[in-house]
Amino acid sequence: MAAPDELFCWEGDWGLPSVSTDCLVVLAYAQFAGAPLKVRKICNPWRSPSGSLPAFRTSQKETLSRTSDIIIHLRKQKFNADYDLSAKEGADSLAFISLMEEKLRPALIYAFWIEPKNYVDVTRRWFAEHMPFPLNFFLPGRMQSQQLEKLRLLQGDERLEAGEELEKELFRDATECMDLLSQRLGSQKFFFGDSPSSLDAYVFGHLAPILRCKLPNGKLQQHLRSLDNLTNFCSNILLLYFPRDGRDGCSQKSPPQPEAGDFDNVPNKRRKQLLSALVALGAMLSYALLTGIVSIQHIQQEALEEPPDPEDIRSHEEEGDG
Amino acid sequence: MSLAAEAFVSQMAAAEPWPENATLYQPLKEDQILLSDSASSFAVQAYLRMCGLPVQVVCRANAEYMSPSGKIPFIHVGNQVVSELGPIVQFSKAKGHSLSDGLDDVQRAEMKAYMELVNNMLLTAELFVQWCDETTVSQITRCRYGKPYSWPLNLILAYQKQWEVRRKMNAIGWGGKTVEQVYEDVSQCCQALSQRLGTQPFFFGKHPTELDALVFGHLFTILTTQLTNTELMDRVKSYSNLLSFCRRIEQTYFDSKDS
Repeated sequence: MAAPDELFCWEGDWGLPSVSTDCLVVLAYAQFAGAPLKVRKICNPWRSPSGSLPAFRTSQKETLSRTSDIIIHLRKQKFNADYDLSAKEGADSLAFISLMEEKLRPALIYAFWIEPKNYVDVTRRWFAEHMPFPLNFFLPGRMQSQQLEKLRLLQGDERLEAGEELEKELFRDATECMDLLSQRLGSQKFFFGDSPSSLDAYVFGHLAPILRCKLPNGKLQQHLRSLDNLTNFCSNILLLYFPRDGRDGCSQKSPPQPEAGDFDNVPNKRRKQLLSALVALGAMLSYALLTGIVSIQHIQQEALEEPPDPEDIRSHEEEGDG
Repeated sequence: MSLAAEAFVSQMAAAEPWPENATLYQPLKEDQILLSDSASSFAVQAYLRMCGLPVQVVCRANAEYMSPSGKIPFIHVGNQVVSELGPIVQFSKAKGHSLSDGLDDVQRAEMKAYMELVNNMLLTAELFVQWCDETTVSQITRCRYGKPYSWPLNLILAYQKQWEVRRKMNAIGWGGKTVEQVYEDVSQCCQALSQRLGTQPFFFGKHPTELDALVFGHLFTILTTQLTNTELMDRVKSYSNLLSFCRRIEQTYFDSKDS
């Protein structure tokens, strides 16, 4: 029996099986089609066979990186979630997937990687905390420049910079796309009837991170929450196909913010500060005592009635030191 | 176009009716224009003819640089310049001409999705074939793109554009594809369009919409452009309803009005 196919993908958080859109699409499709995959959740893209995540290693040791290639490979292995679709529904799938790639993906890239507050507070922190040393120092920054480059090429503008105007334009396209998806879904459970297909996997992969990740600039999330059928669609898939990850996310809410919001999230901060101060004080005192800068004298009871002679004190000190 | 600029243009557009002297600019037809630009230009021309709006086609060697967004084609109407099909559709809507008013919400969603499908697959495939396939680049594209310029500018500009397109292909994940895979994608896209069209005269019933204009522009160009091999043309030809669709639009909107 050949070894099962392996999928290397980013780790999950916030109740999702993975934080990356592409990884979520592949994971969702594999669940829908019932494909037995060995999923390896890692946080180090250098350990993946292709150098990036997601990476799919087939049983013939071939490595695939593009989500479309991975889905085609699974289909060839007879794990086809689109088996029951009619030809027109298949065509509609292709069209709506293109719509999401053109309109929703740029906004996702902007919201997670380019928008300054989101990037610094959430994205960079998450990747830096989860990546191993020493990658956590330079890899998030490198990923950000790659994403900015990608956005510039997608929009066709070499001088694109983060800004309000760009944000408005991208978010307007994204909200329009979400509205169109919501209209297409209507009140059905999945896009084409009662069983999910590849289009459901793509929609889930794009919308789930927006829904679950708490970003400081959460305009996309606000709009998505207002579309009930899409929200229920995502929650439904999480409940049915990723119960373990969903449960972890529900029990662990976003980490409680300390009173000083800007402080790093170091546990027992006060205790550590106090301990450090005490240790420093103790070290300084013992140094002072040992070198004689300060000395403790035993003053006799009689001597207390008259002011002590400076000579007396000096001679006492000499005795004390000796 | 940015939001503010769009709002301004719409406001200005609504003020005046469509003039008689509107012009559409594109690169030189005989020896400069490339596959993808020609497709976009035909799409816009088809759309304007479907709306019944008169427009003159003018060929200029520096059309790409005159365009406000750097993309072909662009139209010069009154004292405004608008480029690319999307903004042109909005512009004509502001003047009161629209083809998709009769659609309901679900149909409009489908129309937008299929337009993105054509942009995502057909346009990208055209760009790939003309800039990333070595035989096509060396035999056709490079000399056509640099035709109006003298040496060495023609080579420099051609290489610069090729490098830019290659970077874009890498960014969207098409960098590692072979030409065969791209032809497969084109087939897949045509199959989807063919399924959607079925036996209807247009994609949404009896009246054309901007989707019909866009699909016509791309398919007509592929069918009538001479490349290094006929693979692309053959793939499109294998869908008979798409062929008759193109013929129908050409006869209805182009033959009767052409001089």
